[in-house]
Amino acid sequence: MDKSKMRARLASLSFTEKIKILEKLRDRDRVIAASGLRRKVAVDARKKADKDTGS
Amino acid sequence: MKAAIEAINRMQADGIIGKYAIGGAVGATFYLEPAATLDVDVFVILPTAPGGLLLSLSPIYDYWKARGGTVEDEYIVISGWPVQFLPANNELELEALAEAVPTTVEDVGTWVLTAEHLAAIALRTGRPKDHNRILQFIEEGAVDRKRLQTIVERHHLNERWKQFERRFLEGTHG
Repeated sequence: MDKSKMRARLASLSFTEKIKILEKLRDRDRVIAASGLRRKVAVDARKKADKDTGS
Repeated sequence: MKAAIEAINRMQADGIIGKYAIGGAVGATFYLEPAATLDVDVFVILPTAPGGLLLSLSPIYDYWKARGGTVEDEYIVISGWPVQFLPANNELELEALAEAVPTTVEDVGTWVLTAEHLAAIALRTGRPKDHNRILQFIEEGAVDRKRLQTIVERHHLNERWKQFERRFLEGTHG
């Protein structure tokens, strides 16, 4: 299924079904935030940028 | 979310808030594909204070604190969802609440702002994420462009709309 069809399918779900997806997305965000993964990715990106610019 | 909406409905039944409707990203989800969000924006009409005193959100905070609720900055955490109550304080928001759409979440009744009012409020707020949302509404055909234009004109957002069109919609009329 292409992206636009997938978006249309998701948009056509009932509000209840969409809210359940929102809850899953929120829970996933919380798990990622608690794991420190975002911080690690940000630190790694900064290190790479520093290395690329030679600073 | 169901529990949070039930709790807000109880608060309404207890007379702490008047009419309310969900806005922001959760409101937009009613019309669009779900997009990750951490909080819930709830537009509310606060009951009129005797003697026309300036209304505040204190009764809402007091109500939740008395029931063991957690207040974090401008949010009240209800059933795990940080909820921000936004008193309708201009004609656009009052109209948005008056025309809000009734719906249900797991058989619990609630209201959501119309897509056109969500877009108009986003236009007025004007942050990058608000512009993104308006674009999503347009790209996915989720707003009635004529109705949105009427709202934009009625609430004197024409100049903002023109700027938005110039910046994001040039060559994409439809």
